[in-house]
Amino acid sequence: MNKEPLLKVEKLSVTFFTPRGTVIAVREASFEVSRGEVLGIVGESGCGKSTAAFAVMGYLPTTAEVGGSISFEGRDISTLSKEDLRELRGNRIAMVYQDPTTSLNPSMKIGLQVKEVISEHLNLDQIDTDNKVVELFESVGLADADQVGDRYPHELSGGMQQRVMIAMALACDPDLLIMDEPTTGLDVTTEATILDLVASLKERVNAGILYVTHNLGVMARVADRVAVMYAGQTVEQSNVKDLYANPKHPYTSGLLSCVPKPPGDGEISSRLKRIPGFVYSSQESDVSSCLFAERCPLADSECTTSAPAVEFFDQNSQVRCIHSDKVEPETWGGVDERISRKDVATPTVLTGHGITHQYGKRRKKYMAFGPDMDLPVRALNKIDFEMPQGKTLGIVGESGSGKSTLARAVVGLIKVQDGSLQLNGNELEKTVENRSNEDKSAIQMVFQNPTASLNPKLKIKKTLIRSLMRFSKLTKQGSEERAAALMEEVGLDPSYLERLPSELSGGEQQRVAIAGAFATNPEIVVADEAVSALDVSVQAQVLGLLEDRQQELGNSYLFITHDLGVVRYVSDEIMVVYAGHIAEYGPSEAVLSSPSHPYTEALLSAAPIPDPTAKPNPLRLEGAVPTMREEFTGCFFASRCPRKLGSICDTEAPPVQKISADDNHVINCHIPFADLTKIQT
Amino acid sequence: MGLDRHPVERYAVWIKNAVQGDLGMAARGGASINSMVKSRLPNSALLAAVAFIIAVPTSLLGGVLAGTRPDTKLDRILSIGSLLAISIPEFIIGVILMMVFATKLGWFPSSSILLPGETILGSPKILVLPTLTITGALFAYILRMARANVIEVMESNYVRTAILKGLSMRRVVFKHVLPNAMIPTITVIANNVGWMFGGIIVVEFVFAYPGIGSLLIMAIDTRDMRMLQSTALVIAAIYAFANLAADLLYGLLNPRVRVGQ
Repeated sequence: MNKEPLLKVEKLSVTFFTPRGTVIAVREASFEVSRGEVLGIVGESGCGKSTAAFAVMGYLPTTAEVGGSISFEGRDISTLSKEDLRELRGNRIAMVYQDPTTSLNPSMKIGLQVKEVISEHLNLDQIDTDNKVVELFESVGLADADQVGDRYPHELSGGMQQRVMIAMALACDPDLLIMDEPTTGLDVTTEATILDLVASLKERVNAGILYVTHNLGVMARVADRVAVMYAGQTVEQSNVKDLYANPKHPYTSGLLSCVPKPPGDGEISSRLKRIPGFVYSSQESDVSSCLFAERCPLADSECTTSAPAVEFFDQNSQVRCIHSDKVEPETWGGVDERISRKDVATPTVLTGHGITHQYGKRRKKYMAFGPDMDLPVRALNKIDFEMPQGKTLGIVGESGSGKSTLARAVVGLIKVQDGSLQLNGNELEKTVENRSNEDKSAIQMVFQNPTASLNPKLKIKKTLIRSLMRFSKLTKQGSEERAAALMEEVGLDPSYLERLPSELSGGEQQRVAIAGAFATNPEIVVADEAVSALDVSVQAQVLGLLEDRQQELGNSYLFITHDLGVVRYVSDEIMVVYAGHIAEYGPSEAVLSSPSHPYTEALLSAAPIPDPTAKPNPLRLEGAVPTMREEFTGCFFASRCPRKLGSICDTEAPPVQKISADDNHVINCHIPFADLTKIQT
Repeated sequence: MGLDRHPVERYAVWIKNAVQGDLGMAARGGASINSMVKSRLPNSALLAAVAFIIAVPTSLLGGVLAGTRPDTKLDRILSIGSLLAISIPEFIIGVILMMVFATKLGWFPSSSILLPGETILGSPKILVLPTLTITGALFAYILRMARANVIEVMESNYVRTAILKGLSMRRVVFKHVLPNAMIPTITVIANNVGWMFGGIIVVEFVFAYPGIGSLLIMAIDTRDMRMLQSTALVIAAIYAFANLAADLLYGLLNPRVRVGQ
């Protein structure tokens, strides 16, 4: 019964020779995929996951040098002729990519793009080919399967585009399907529907699937077996349940413990664990040490003097660590108790009332005449909120729901049309230009993309000193000292002050951005997706840093994120927004533990859970957030609500229901709370 | 002629007549400018059309060949060659061509003067050197633009998709690369049509080709303001139309800018 696996990758290494030096993308990766199973490859960015996937397709730049072997059904990919390789691609091995928008040809109808794979590889006549395309579109759940082929990619949403890509990959019933981060960049709700599709493929097609992702929640949902990659090496492989329950490599254990736990009942009592440092990045080819040693709590002198061999266990599990027997839940430190502040009442620092904003002006077709052309986008509609001192208000919602607009309104980057903001009871000017220096320094912001938000031409020192001298009224020397202190507070060496942003990693840059925000001793820090672009290990570091700062300084955070795990971890209170309206608002425990507003419920059921034994909630949202150009005649969520009552939802705005007498928990929904309790449990 | 009137007033009168299709009388010779333009314009159009028909397909082909094989010998030759062709002004290229092919080899006539009763189509040999001169620079511009766009599109994710679908390289290039690389290239081609009519002035002068360009030079020589205004107007109109055509073609190639179904 020694069956040859479908794909066998052995000691794969990929080195790029670029004008700027040698880059070792993959060092030593070995894995196998058999028919009917999903092998997940997980790891942080820069660990060589995608490069390994493209190497299997035989698609690497000519400057790449490939070592080791990749055999597909016993044939070595590297020995194949161009013609043979072409015969495999799209036919026997097909791929789905990370970014469907750029992976589809923008000037070709999608039907034709699927059709050409079939005409290339299968011997079908015109009619059969056309029928097959429609069949494929149906099988990936595209509505109007017989019409949709006539549309161009830009006419489809991201989720639909990814379905087209999957249809294209399935066109010739491939034996091996490679999926490279297929849901990264999609909304959670869309991601959930795509993951459902992938899960159903497992049963429908008899192919092996190689699934690459950095997201441990997604991995738990789709994979049968998992290979963990670190710095271009496969460091651990095991079936998914064992890997999540008993990780054998300290890196796996660390990754799992720095992911915020999924939303559920109860308060989070312990702090996130952190993996110090950053992904191994040296480009030395022969390393006689464990690559993870510099970040590993178990590392000893043996780890730094000899490279660990791969140790095999039963059931295809293997690990590259000499201390695998010592890995346990406490490897990354014991439980770090969190101080509960649930019952600590604090005064309100910032109040927002009736905040309303529209983007764009009403335009007519012919200058001042004719029908309305572009109606303004109603990004925010009468948003009320209160931020208690020393606590965190989390804002969640899909992209396009108005989260960032609210952040910009609070900081004063946009001039909202209506509503008021009050800081400690005093009215705030709408735009930052009109605010006093005190008000400006009281509200600071950390942006999503640290690379883009730091001036690339200024040394870190200059960036920090500028705001220090302006707002803290310090002398040059005083502000230099303060800058050095700030750097230490965010866990960076003060020598970094002399560096340019480009000389720092993404996580370090975000720390500098945070140092900059705290330079003015703010009362409120607005963090707009501040950890979304970071790897999980760095994300945990930054979240920990933000938490430390809050404990020491007692500032408040307005924390915007699409990640429900993160929002539950950081928030005391949560606002769920949809299409510029508040769907639900209240203490985070109450909001995120069922039952709640149907939109919150849908978000929760869509969130991937980093636990392979968890049963996914089947509730899904189709479509996308409406454009918000028309005024809603009824409930803002009516068009997508899975719990819609009936015509009342389309004709009347939902009432505000106060859930409990003790706190501020409210939902905006027609369904009585008692009924929601019944249908959701 | 109204030479006793104020120049501004004369200009206003000329404009008033011009928009009604009357460009006025030439300063010398007593012929109407309309009839002169009418007899010269087809000659220039013929020269331009032949140059265009030769240059566009060959330069696109060259651009694709170079763009799909960046940094190979062929790409280097085409790139350096086209850079040279752009750098050398066409009156020098024209003179060099004249020296080689007309004076030394005697294959083609050095001037394109038509004797009374002769037509260009009757003696197509006179077209060759002026066409070659114009083609040279036109070819180089379009080639460089096409090459740059092809290289950019070749690196796009959707071309990666096409390659990993197992399509033949020919299909990838013709169905996926070309249409998308063409979109920005079209603008360049259209601009070049306008430029060509400007360049044609010099080339026509060098070869004494009886087109609208030499009419313009003649107008400058004789200080015939009305003729100068008229020929400039005609060339500008052609430029504008070429750009309009490019915008329409752009919409045809790029579904994203198509409006109103």
